[in-house]
Amino acid sequence: MRIEVDAVAGTLESSDALVRVSPAEELRIEVTSTVEAQFGAEIRRTVAEQLDRLGVTEGLISVQDKGALDFVIRARVQGAVLRGAQARPDWRKL
Amino acid sequence: MSGADGLETAVEDGCAIGLVDAARDARGLEQVRGLLKASGLGLDADVELFATARDASGRLLACLGLAGDVVKCAASAPEVRGEGVTARLMQRILDEASDRGRTHLFAFTRPGNRAILEGLGFHALAVTDDAVLLENTPFGLSSYVAGLARLRRPGRRIGGVVLNANPFTLGHRYLVERAASECDALHVFVVGEDASAFDAATRLRLVREGIAGLDLGEQVVVHPGSRYIVSRATFPNYFLAREDARASAAAGLDLQLFRTAIAPALGITDRFVGTEPLSPVTAAYNAEMRWWLAEAPLDAPPIAVHEVARLEVDGEAVSASRVRQGLASGDLDAVARLVPGPTLAHLRSLVSPGHRR
Repeated sequence: MRIEVDAVAGTLESSDALVRVSPAEELRIEVTSTVEAQFGAEIRRTVAEQLDRLGVTEGLISVQDKGALDFVIRARVQGAVLRGAQARPDWRKL
Repeated sequence: MSGADGLETAVEDGCAIGLVDAARDARGLEQVRGLLKASGLGLDADVELFATARDASGRLLACLGLAGDVVKCAASAPEVRGEGVTARLMQRILDEASDRGRTHLFAFTRPGNRAILEGLGFHALAVTDDAVLLENTPFGLSSYVAGLARLRRPGRRIGGVVLNANPFTLGHRYLVERAASECDALHVFVVGEDASAFDAATRLRLVREGIAGLDLGEQVVVHPGSRYIVSRATFPNYFLAREDARASAAAGLDLQLFRTAIAPALGITDRFVGTEPLSPVTAAYNAEMRWWLAEAPLDAPPIAVHEVARLEVDGEAVSASRVRQGLASGDLDAVARLVPGPTLAHLRSLVSPGHRR
């Protein structure tokens, strides 16, 4: 999937994550987290895996994590990417 | 939830987030004005809406304003512990901004609020003693600067000029000419905000056409304005009618960004500006320029500042306001002596719409 427009998913609430995507010619991911020390690496891995699963190879991805569980981060990344790609996805494949 | 969070939870539980529409809710606006005043802040005229936090009795506890893509005018009553309420206010602001198609936001606030905003996804761009400028993405400034770097020109002495050019006059042209004569290459930035009599696109076009007449070719690069140089985000007081001491705080952020981010990307070593006889805000900006660009101990090379005496026609400094006055009174003959061909042609097309360019 290719990100075509700026898009957002999630909120700043505790246990959620705010994911912002925008179009770019390169892939850049930046994560800030309230639990950076304990889970920073794991969160980055989750984000990278989800982007890979969605076929995203280019874009600016910023994640503001407020202690979200793994599936929440994946859901927010997916939400932002789908909005950014203005996609009508094949849900069976996601 | 209890323990250390007790007080914050209690406030949050009793705290309702609402909205004050600056154009429609006069009473709400007065309450906001009062809260801002108690924190030593004014109510900026360009704020469209405020996210508000009220207690059970409806008393205003905290507010956060949105002016275009700039989040500012943040205040809270002393008994409110910042973080939980600020996050809820910010989420409301993000939602309102997003509904209006604005996803890239800036924040302009006191340095003391920096940590809270960084916890809410903002990244600091510049800090002075009185204010900090942030944006809600880690990629904004760096993407902009990377784009600028592609437009570098070779040379030892590289100049920079920032113009509003409302519209482009012989005075602006003279400044550009003088600056270019002293540099190997010159970068001209045209203010990008649509807050002047002539919109940004028109001003940019007249700058390009007016400079083309100087035949300087590749030596001069004209850049369309951005959020990062003389914008409502970096230098709000330039756009607000009120002229007060806060003009100096806002100029510092803009100038810092220029020196630490924009100038290095293009190799700018010298900045040129016209002397400013008429606008106190612009005069204050020029004075600050020397401090921030040439003298302040920043982690970026100093930039030499040159004030160029304004071009005079008929014994008076040429200024865009003179041109606008002439246009308003329909006296294009007087104006013709003050502007280059392309600008005059545009002004004529405004006065007699039949003769469209």
